Amino acid sequence: MATQSPSLSSLEADVLVIGGGSTGVGVARDAALRGFSTILVERSDLADGTTGRFHGLLHSGGRYAVKDPSAARECIAENRILRLTAADCVEDTGGLFVSTPWDDPEYGDQFLQGCKATGVPAEEIPVAEALRREPRVNPDIRRAFLVPDAALDPWKLVWGCARSAEEHGARILPYCRVLYLEMDGDRVVGADVRNERSGEEFRIHATVVINAAGAWAGQIADLARCTVNVRAGMGLMIAMNHRLVHMCVNRCKRPADGDILLPLRTACVIGTTDVFVPDPDQTEIRQEDIDLLLDEGEKLVPGFRQARALHAWAGVRPLFEDTAKVAETRDVTRSHALLDHSSREGVAGFLTITGGKTTTFRLMAEAAVDAACRQLGGPRPCRTADVPLSGSENHALYQISHRLAEREPVPQAEEIICECELITRSRLEDTIKQRDTTSLDDIRRLLRLAMGPCQGGFCIYRAAGILHQGGHVDQAGANQTLLDFLEERWKGVHPILHGDQLRQARLDDWIFQGILDVEHVPV
Amino acid sequence: MSYDTVVVGAGLAGLTAALRLSERGQHVLIVARGVGATHLAPATVDVLGYLGDTQVASPAASLPGLSNGHPYGHVPVDQLTTALAWFCAHTAALGYAGGPGENLLLPTALGVPKPSALAPRSMAGGDLRAGGRFVFVGFKGFKDFHPTLIAANLARARLPLSIEARALELEPPPTRRGDLSGRVMAGRFDNEQLTDWLVHALEHRVEPDERIGVPAVLGLRSDAPWQELEKRLQRKVFEVATLPPSVPGIRLFQALSAALRSGGVRMVFGVTVVGARINAGRIEAVEVANATGTHAYPVTSVVLASGGFASGGLELDSFGTTRETVFDLPLSGLPEGHRVRFAPRYFDEQPLATAGVATDDLLRPVDGSSRPVYENLHAAGAILAGATPWKEKSGTGISVATGYAAAEGILVPAAAPVSEAVR
Repeated sequence: MATQSPSLSSLEADVLVIGGGSTGVGVARDAALRGFSTILVERSDLADGTTGRFHGLLHSGGRYAVKDPSAARECIAENRILRLTAADCVEDTGGLFVSTPWDDPEYGDQFLQGCKATGVPAEEIPVAEALRREPRVNPDIRRAFLVPDAALDPWKLVWGCARSAEEHGARILPYCRVLYLEMDGDRVVGADVRNERSGEEFRIHATVVINAAGAWAGQIADLARCTVNVRAGMGLMIAMNHRLVHMCVNRCKRPADGDILLPLRTACVIGTTDVFVPDPDQTEIRQEDIDLLLDEGEKLVPGFRQARALHAWAGVRPLFEDTAKVAETRDVTRSHALLDHSSREGVAGFLTITGGKTTTFRLMAEAAVDAACRQLGGPRPCRTADVPLSGSENHALYQISHRLAEREPVPQAEEIICECELITRSRLEDTIKQRDTTSLDDIRRLLRLAMGPCQGGFCIYRAAGILHQGGHVDQAGANQTLLDFLEERWKGVHPILHGDQLRQARLDDWIFQGILDVEHVPV
Repeated sequence: MSYDTVVVGAGLAGLTAALRLSERGQHVLIVARGVGATHLAPATVDVLGYLGDTQVASPAASLPGLSNGHPYGHVPVDQLTTALAWFCAHTAALGYAGGPGENLLLPTALGVPKPSALAPRSMAGGDLRAGGRFVFVGFKGFKDFHPTLIAANLARARLPLSIEARALELEPPPTRRGDLSGRVMAGRFDNEQLTDWLVHALEHRVEPDERIGVPAVLGLRSDAPWQELEKRLQRKVFEVATLPPSVPGIRLFQALSAALRSGGVRMVFGVTVVGARINAGRIEAVEVANATGTHAYPVTSVVLASGGFASGGLELDSFGTTRETVFDLPLSGLPEGHRVRFAPRYFDEQPLATAGVATDDLLRPVDGSSRPVYENLHAAGAILAGATPWKEKSGTGISVATGYAAAEGILVPAAAPVSEAVR
């Protein structure tokens, strides 16, 4: 898919979606599948906000079975749908809830009851069986339960939805920031947008504007003088260099910090924390949160602190708080919020969908487009629960061994640019062309380039060279994206740097500074 | 069996110290977990390339500008000069050129002119200081070298005289393997007559006054393919260091190992030093573990050349504690307070960059009150505190200079009393 650079001074659509996370692309795809002309704008790259920074757990609902039954019901329903429609984004790892010595084993009974009441399949298995399946898990666990949790690849999901939306006529415009919402009296009729890469500004006219900006939804609503109270709940995650567990392992207790450890592609991720931050763009990683996650990891998997931590990052949950005392709250559930600003503030043509979680993004999109239909001439049926994404037509779930399987018949047929993630030269070159991007950080999100143990020590020089050789960037552009990438990578590396990863980082210092002398490159 | 000196570590510092000691008649054992950074770093000897942000033209003249506590503070300039001349003499097969008086400016694989004091003859022809015309040649299918970017960056580099640079990409004869490391490419030059192919591919595509830069893969066994190329093409040909593994570095390791073997030095790989027998402030024996058990080697002296964080000589744990991994020596250059917090911007000054062991002028690790920890323990190379070698471009220079100086410190008859040895 080409990242289209609109050169028109104005565009028109039935639906304009603001926000390129899972909710936004879900809305765009849903609207396009219902036959509406649709445009999506995102201020940076797709999935660069909360979606690309979540832990990657496709919830079974088990985590919410006791505390939030309605969320649990939504999760299990969506879990079943995504296993079919987005199969290629889902690895069926299974989920394991365990009672460690720090957890009350009787909570397990409440857990089973909650799962039963909400329809989440859960089964208690003997501790010995659990340890056979997960040999690294703390041998002192007292109870263990199986649930259908799974690992979800957020980038694949978002790009899959975006591609599908485009196939149905939508235009997806990353790096396009909304500057103003156009008002005609009390009606929102479109937006003024700036292409952040070219600097060009243009106008999009739309019958309905859907604000799917997640934790940034309040900032967009302000532009129409509407109020959306979304607080940003920062969650910290740490990726470890390999799969310490093969299932999504949860502590069997009321949800708290650092109680999920799940495999995600070649790594595993521990999460998370929950700290309110005043600005969703300001997420500082604190040492005490790192220590908390490492200590909690040690409870789940003894030796966790000696294992190799690759990367830490923070995402912001959009936590909706309704302070507007109006009647229109029936669509506000505990898991997500759909706000029709015509009944709240008398502003027509403008909806906000926020809150929620990636697992239920499709349901949120359905609710938002259902509401949009009311302003677009009547109901049209939602199709996203039935139509699979391309690559998922045969409902084959993703296997961790896929990339290796592609290589195995001809193990040395082609250059491997990123050994950690088995990315071949042709795959990299195709992605550069299809996405029309020259940012190594964009390529990282698309291909997992540089996400492995060496954190780009080898592949980033190669990728910069290939960008230049292919004529995609000039010399200054290649140098700049290389330097930008080193800074961007360091943000996630420096908070957790210790042990073998510091050793790796020092090798990377030697490569970039000692061998290549990157700090003296002309820019 | 007992040895005069046990050297811990087989990187450039350890190999240098061992060779100097054996040449002076000592019976030497090298123990190492594996090969050292010779296999990663370019084989140039980088003495000092930058002082802060300023490029250094003459390392010898700039060394006095280094801060107190820098490893070169224990190596007088005349000793450094001697060490470099000694190094060149003992690596004659590689034909090192240069000296401490003037830095060469050699192109990196990104097209940045990088200062080095010495370079093997197969790389020295890339010296950019004299200006001129250059062509950089890439091999299709070799991912660790990108000539278009090198040429484009060099054309914009700040250099004393102007240069012209262009790129060429050639397709080597097909091979069964599609993913080639530098090491495998070098093997093809050794075994598949790739030199013939390269001569034919280049002879009509290069101008008479152009110098030819190729990735540093011209043969693993020796630089014979480079010699043949220069001779047959009648042009200056030079190797440019690639990403690791470093083929010229492997050649350097082989040259030094051959000299060590002929000097009777024993090298044992795949082992770890797990302890030491101490008596009256001296290491009496070094305990070495291999797969079958632990063996104690009685010694007169020990050289610790275990490297820094990159080689495992230093370690930082998840609680923020840094330790020296072989003898648990006191460390210098640790940040104030208990917890290490790295700076949020990559190129900013980072904590632990200069961490390591501080020494006296005989390169003996010292404690907080500047007394040698053990009378007969000397340290060399990246384990030493006080340098940021990847920024200064001083790593291999420090290894050669301090490896040589540590050996000299051992060879000083009846080491001076502690109080006089400490500055």
